[in-house]
Amino acid sequence: MHKVAEIEVQHDIIIANKKLAKRNQRILDKADVFAIDVLGAIGSGKTSLIEVLIQRMNHKIGVIAGDVISKFDAGRFKKYNVPVVGLNTGKECHLDAHLVEHALEDLPLPAIDVLFIENVGNLICPVDFDLGSHLRMVVISVSEGDDTVEKHPLIFKDADVVVINKVDIADAVGADEEKMEADVLRLNPDVVVIKSSLKTGEGVENILQALEEYINESRLYIKESQR
Amino acid sequence: MHELSMADAIVKTILDIAEKNDAEEIIEVTIELGKLTLLNPEQLKFMLEVISEDTLLDGAEFKMEIIPVEIECGSCNYTGSIDSDELDHFTPILSCPQCGERDLKVISGRECNIKQIKIEKRE
Ligand SMILES: Nc1nc2c(ncn2[C@@H]2O[C@H](COP(=O)(O)OP(=O)(O)OP(=O)(O)O)[C@@H](O)[C@H]2O)c(=O)[nH]1
Ligand SMILES: [Mg+2]
Ligand SMILES: [Zn+2]
Repeated sequence: MHKVAEIEVQHDIIIANKKLAKRNQRILDKADVFAIDVLGAIGSGKTSLIEVLIQRMNHKIGVIAGDVISKFDAGRFKKYNVPVVGLNTGKECHLDAHLVEHALEDLPLPAIDVLFIENVGNLICPVDFDLGSHLRMVVISVSEGDDTVEKHPLIFKDADVVVINKVDIADAVGADEEKMEADVLRLNPDVVVIKSSLKTGEGVENILQALEEYINESRLYIKESQR
Repeated sequence: MHELSMADAIVKTILDIAEKNDAEEIIEVTIELGKLTLLNPEQLKFMLEVISEDTLLDGAEFKMEIIPVEIECGSCNYTGSIDSDELDHFTPILSCPQCGERDLKVISGRECNIKQIKIEKRE
C-alpha cells in the first residue's frame, strides 16, 4: 500500500545562507580577522582598489577572489605576496557563504588581519547572499552611467561603504558623480560615500580612513564581547 | 539572475528531505517566493523542472506562492504592505506609501522558502 504524506519543510534558501554566513563570521572573529566583502559592477575597479589597499594598509592582508570563469584576478593579487584563494564560480553569478566557507579553510587565518573578498562583478545577484563579512563595500564607477544607483537600489541599502570610482573620467563619459552620491545617500543615509580615482589617487586616503574606523570599532566590539 | 543556482539548492534540499522520509515519489512542492528576491517565478519553475529530471522529483508539480512586500517605515511608523504591482521587477525602488521615505525596513518579500512537499510512500 502507498500513502500520500504532506511534509512541512520550511527551509528558506536565503536564511540557510545567512546561517552559514554567521558561522563564517564566528570563524573569522575567533581568528581576529576583519573581512570586507567588495561588491560592484563589472570593471568598476574592485581589483584595482584592493591592490592599492594591499600596498597602503598597515595590516596583514588576505584575499578571496571570485571570478566567473578564470582565475585572472587571483593572479593579480598573488604578485603582492599575500595569501590568495581564487574561487572559480563557474555558472554562479554571486559568491555564497558555502563557497566562502571552503575558501576560509584554505587560508592561513592566524596570519591575516584584514581579509578582502572580491565578489563577482554584478549589482544584482550578490545582494541576498551574506558571506559572513564584517563590512560591505560597494564599488561602482562613473562609466556605468550616473543612473546606476537608481537602477540597482537594493545593493546600496545593505552597503556600509560606497566608492564611486573613476571620477577622473566623469566629464569624458558625461556622468555626474554628485548625482550618484546623492542617490546613494537618499537610499541609505547612514552609508559612507567616497568619490575616488585610482588613476590620480583622489579619495584613496578617505577610503583608508573609513576602513580603519570600521576595523577599530570592530576590534573594540570583539574585545568587549569576549570579556 | 541566479535562478539556476537557487533551483540547484532547492532540489538538493528537497531530495534530502524526501529520502529521509522514505519517499518513493514526490507529487507536489510548494515554494514561497518574495517579490523582492529578484527571482523570476516562471524562470525558477522552469529551472526546477529541468534539474528534477531523472530524480525523485521528476514529474512533481511546483507551486509558487508569491509573498508580497511588507515594510516598516522608521520615519512615520507606517507598517504594512506596499503596492508591489508598481515595482518594476528589476528595479524595486521602495518608498513609504504614507510619507515617501525610502529608508525602509523590509519585513517580508525576501523569502525563497521551501514550504511543503507532498510525497508518496510505502506503508
Ligand atoms: N580611468 C580610470 N580607470 C580605472 C580606475 N580604476 C580602475 N580603472 C581601470 O578599470 C579597469 C577595470 O579595473 P578592475 O580593477 O579590473 O575592475 P574590477 O571591478 O575588478 O573588474 P571585474 O573583476 O572584471 O568585475 C582597469 O583597466 C583599470 O585600470 C580609475 O579610477 N580611473
Ligand atoms: Mg576584479
Ligand atoms: Zn513613512
